[in-house]
Order: sequence, then C-alpha cells, then structure tokens
Amino acid sequence: MATSQNPFVQADGKKPTCMEMLQVILDGEATVEQKDYFKTHMDHCMPCYKEYNVDMAIKELLQAKCCGGNCPEGLVEQIRSKINSTTA
Amino acid sequence: MEIEEYIPHQKYSETEKQDIFNNEFMPHIHSMYNFGYRLTLDRDDAKDLVQDTYLKAYRFIESFQKGTNAKAWLFRILKNSFINDYRKKSKEPSKVDYQEVETYYNSEEVDRQITPDLRVESLKDMIGDEISNALNSLDVDFRTVIILCDLEGFKYEEMAKILDIPIGTVRSRLHRARNLLKEKLKSYAKSMGYNNA
Ligand SMILES: [Zn+2]
Repeated sequence: MATSQNPFVQADGKKPTCMEMLQVILDGEATVEQKDYFKTHMDHCMPCYKEYNVDMAIKELLQAKCCGGNCPEGLVEQIRSKINSTTA
Repeated sequence: MEIEEYIPHQKYSETEKQDIFNNEFMPHIHSMYNFGYRLTLDRDDAKDLVQDTYLKAYRFIESFQKGTNAKAWLFRILKNSFINDYRKKSKEPSKVDYQEVETYYNSEEVDRQITPDLRVESLKDMIGDEISNALNSLDVDFRTVIILCDLEGFKYEEMAKILDIPIGTVRSRLHRARNLLKEKLKSYAKSMGYNNA
C-alpha cells in the first residue's frame, strides 16, 4: 500500500512505525480509517498481530480487575451532609 | 490549586447548583473513588480524597460550565488535591526522567522493540490480583495514565488537561507505562511457570 494512503501519516509526511500505529490504536485515538488500515496491516505483519493481541488482553484484564466496583457505603451521604451543613 | 480553573464563569441559583451536583458530578463518584484508591493505594485516604474533591467541586461550582466535561473537571481536581495534600505526605518521590522518555520514544529504535514476549495464554491465567498488583507497583505518574486511558477511556486532550502536561508527554508516558506494566506481567507469568512467557 502506498504511503500516501496510510492514514497514520502525519502532516510532515513522516512514515509511522509499527509501534506508533499500534499505540494510536491502543490509546483509543484511532479514526475509523486508521483502524481499518491497521487491521489490514496486521494480516501481513506478524509482530503487530501478536503485540496487538497481547496488549488488548492486558487492557481487558485491567478493565475486568482494576475498576474497583462501588465507592464505600455512606460516602455519598457523608458528602451531601457536609455540603448541606456548609450551605445552611 | 491553580487559580484559573476556579474563577467563576457564571452564576447559578441554588436549584441549579443542586441539579449540576446531583446529575453531573455525583454519577462519577465510583470512578472517582477508584482513581483515588489507585493513586493513594489506601481505601481511607481514597475516601477522604474523594470527599475533599466533591466539596471543592461544590465550592467552585460556578467555575464549571454546565454541560461540559464534568468527569474530566472532577478528575483534574482530584489529581491536584492528591498532589497538594497527599503526595507531599507520602514517601514516594517522582523519579521519572521524562526527557529521557521522550528521546527514547522518538528514536528509530522503537520498531525493534516489537518482540512479543508475553503471551495471551499466560494473561488468561491471571485471574487473581496479578494485574492489580502490577498496576499498583508502577510509579504513580505511570499508573495514572494507564488508569485514565485504559480504565476511564479519556482522550489524549482530556488527559493533557487533567494532568497539566503536553499531549506529546501523555503519549510517551503511556507508551512507557505500557512497557513497564508488561515487564511486571512478564515476571508474574514466569513465576507462574510460563518459561516462555
Ligand atoms: Zn506492523
């Protein structure tokens, strides 16, 4: 694919590295065109394919295990009563 | 506390204040608590930090513009409170050399770094606290960008505002944070018996 069609190419015309493209994807900054391009790119770039899968698995693990659930019981009421006592 | 963000931009009636507080601020309390916990690594400190943040948010509510990104605004207040009130108390110094990080990231070497050495299968077996411990073990600045991006889904621009750093620094910090996290997970995978992890 020609560089000019690569939607990751910056205004300065610099060709992005695999690592740079992957980061845009992982960081959630990719446009639809960039996502499509990267999908095709992974079909013939094994390192990107493998790294992408590992990175996405980490992201999923983070979301599943590190979101912490709810805040402690009573905190909302505590905040409200503090506010009410200062505004009263 | 930065002064600019607390300059009142508008006048709200008491009802409007309550409305903003209840409908725009309160829905983020669980994310805020998790952020506070991941920063302080202490549940009581996190509780205090979140409470302080909400009280500040209420006090300065007129500097918040209705309908704009309340979550980013609250996260920024919490982060600033953490730096001002908690980080000073803690023993943890900021030991990150960002200059080096930036150069590292921009070098031509980066492509060679794509050498997958952690496997999806070994990650699948991390059903306990491994990922949480790995995240908590990172320097607080690295931990923060992972939380903001991967857990909370903030964009570069929002993260730059929350953290008061340029977008380029957000990007390079995230890059470095991901690598450090991977290194941690790799060592866990090894200890779990994946020699080829
Ligand atoms: Zn590639």
